[in-house]
Amino acid sequence: MKIYPYKRLNRPITLRVTSVSLRLPDGTRDRLETTAYSTQQQAVALGIAGHDDWSSATIGLSATLPPGADAPDAAWSDLRVLAVLTDGETNVRTSTELTRDTENGRDWSGSVEVLRDDHLGRASLAVYAVGTVDGVRGRSIAETDRSWVVDTVSDEPVRGLRLEVQKASFSRSSRDWLRVYADAPWVVDTSARVPTVFVNTDVEGVMGLLDSKGSGVDSKVRDLLVAQMATDVWTAVFHSAIGDLEVEPGSGPVFPTDWQGEVLREMLPDVVPGVHVEEALRQVHRRRTGESGWAELQTRIHYAAVRRAEASRALGYVIRALEQMNRESET
Amino acid sequence: MITQPDHVPERLALLPASAVDTFLTEELLRGEQVHGGIDLAKVVEELPEDDARWWVEPIRSLVEDAMFEFREDRTRADAWLAPRLHATLRLTRREAADKRLWNHLALAVAPDYVAWRHLREPTARHPERRIAAERFRGPADRQCFSRLWWAAELFRNGPDYGPVEIACGNQDLIHTVLRLDLIDHRPTAQALVRLLERGTVTTGREINGLSAAINAAGATLIYDVLAPDEPRNPARLREWIDEAASAPPVGRHELPEGPDEDPVPEESVDALTAYFTELFETAPIRGRKNGD
Repeated sequence: MKIYPYKRLNRPITLRVTSVSLRLPDGTRDRLETTAYSTQQQAVALGIAGHDDWSSATIGLSATLPPGADAPDAAWSDLRVLAVLTDGETNVRTSTELTRDTENGRDWSGSVEVLRDDHLGRASLAVYAVGTVDGVRGRSIAETDRSWVVDTVSDEPVRGLRLEVQKASFSRSSRDWLRVYADAPWVVDTSARVPTVFVNTDVEGVMGLLDSKGSGVDSKVRDLLVAQMATDVWTAVFHSAIGDLEVEPGSGPVFPTDWQGEVLREMLPDVVPGVHVEEALRQVHRRRTGESGWAELQTRIHYAAVRRAEASRALGYVIRALEQMNRESET
Repeated sequence: MITQPDHVPERLALLPASAVDTFLTEELLRGEQVHGGIDLAKVVEELPEDDARWWVEPIRSLVEDAMFEFREDRTRADAWLAPRLHATLRLTRREAADKRLWNHLALAVAPDYVAWRHLREPTARHPERRIAAERFRGPADRQCFSRLWWAAELFRNGPDYGPVEIACGNQDLIHTVLRLDLIDHRPTAQALVRLLERGTVTTGREINGLSAAINAAGATLIYDVLAPDEPRNPARLREWIDEAASAPPVGRHELPEGPDEDPVPEESVDALTAYFTELFETAPIRGRKNGD
């Protein structure tokens, strides 16, 4: 827990998205369906309507302050509520003031503008309640505990790691570098902007298997295959994120601002359990660059990857499906 | 020292990081030999034909001028090139965040500039002459060209590149501050430049100490309230980008003009400058005795 040198509200602000609309090149607006955002995931997907030429998006917000913000004996004055949109990839930071819905109410609302030219992937949205405390202006007295994710590309509002799957004939691809992997069924590329799995269409039937639907054994095998790929991806992204860490002199490694940071925050609790992610990051970095302990950590990294890929579940279903099939063929 | 590749493309393109390794050879990193360019051209993704911004010639000519002008003092080239590169290669932030563009610029268009600017002379600790690979393909604040473009983007005050020149004239500032989130707030960036201009902070240690203090204070203070910024009008940037096709080459002696966006409100810069000065006076700085 952080300690603050002044009085604050001790509960977080809740933030909800109430509407999303896109401004199109002809000046018209397209108000997106409510499926464009998810309160449970705390995510907004601006790609949902299939427009790829929108110029800006307006996201309507409603924020509820925790009780006590207006208490007569509150330690602060000049209460203001700010929505702040940030994007580490494009160094964007814009803030908008929200206005109170009713006098003395706890709900504040307003909207933020997301300019398409300003983002390549994801931005995050947080809300701060700010006041003057002990004569100091601009003190943050409460904030959202988890930022919303605003994805400018995705067509589904999910906050988890986005993964791209591409198919290609490795032996004939225009991507020269794939040719050396011609005998592999898939490879993972973590150097692209989002981690990408290339599936080798030279392996006969692989696409048929991956596209298989329904409830037969095929689909169970497909799920197992997908879990295997996902395990590879999680392992690879973890390693590349740890390998690319920037180290701040004096204070140690810093979390990357793009998907690599997301991956680390998600996996580190399984890799080094029981400590804060910041401390976990320092420990992992020390083990990788120090003299010992890196090899021992591999099992934990693999464990974190297997959990995320839900490999046990996929394996369980395949085994059950095989048992059932065997039973049926015996009778 | 290497020269430009035999084959320099006419237009900028996108070079994916996964395709970079073949060309980022040991010989190149030692500044001894560069690829021929033909094979690299086969693995790039083309950019739209009808966009004048992707012509390579204006950029090539800029880097050649820089190499000539600053042959005696290579680090000074940053302050000259940053605003001129920014005004030549008119990009949205969305475009500039695509690292493939910078990979292509560094490896296909001007690897000789990367070597000229970043080849490290041998030292006792690193006995080999070498260019760090991140200068070709790396984080935005380290890669040879993207660090200059972003420095210009984050330190310009609307159309005025003056602050960029000052910021880039101090290696410690762009080295430390570009990677920090605090710089994303325009009034903060301008206030930092002002402190540098006034000589309040000069050395690397002072800059490190000050940025650590600004960051620490930022954990409880919302600078957007202390020093509000105006919302940006995206149309101004678009107009400037659309003028790229008819714009003359950037001046070599005078600073070019950036997009006609509103400058940072003066009151906000003043407020933060005063606040940072106060922070700096009480911040622990290595090598400085408190009470000086």
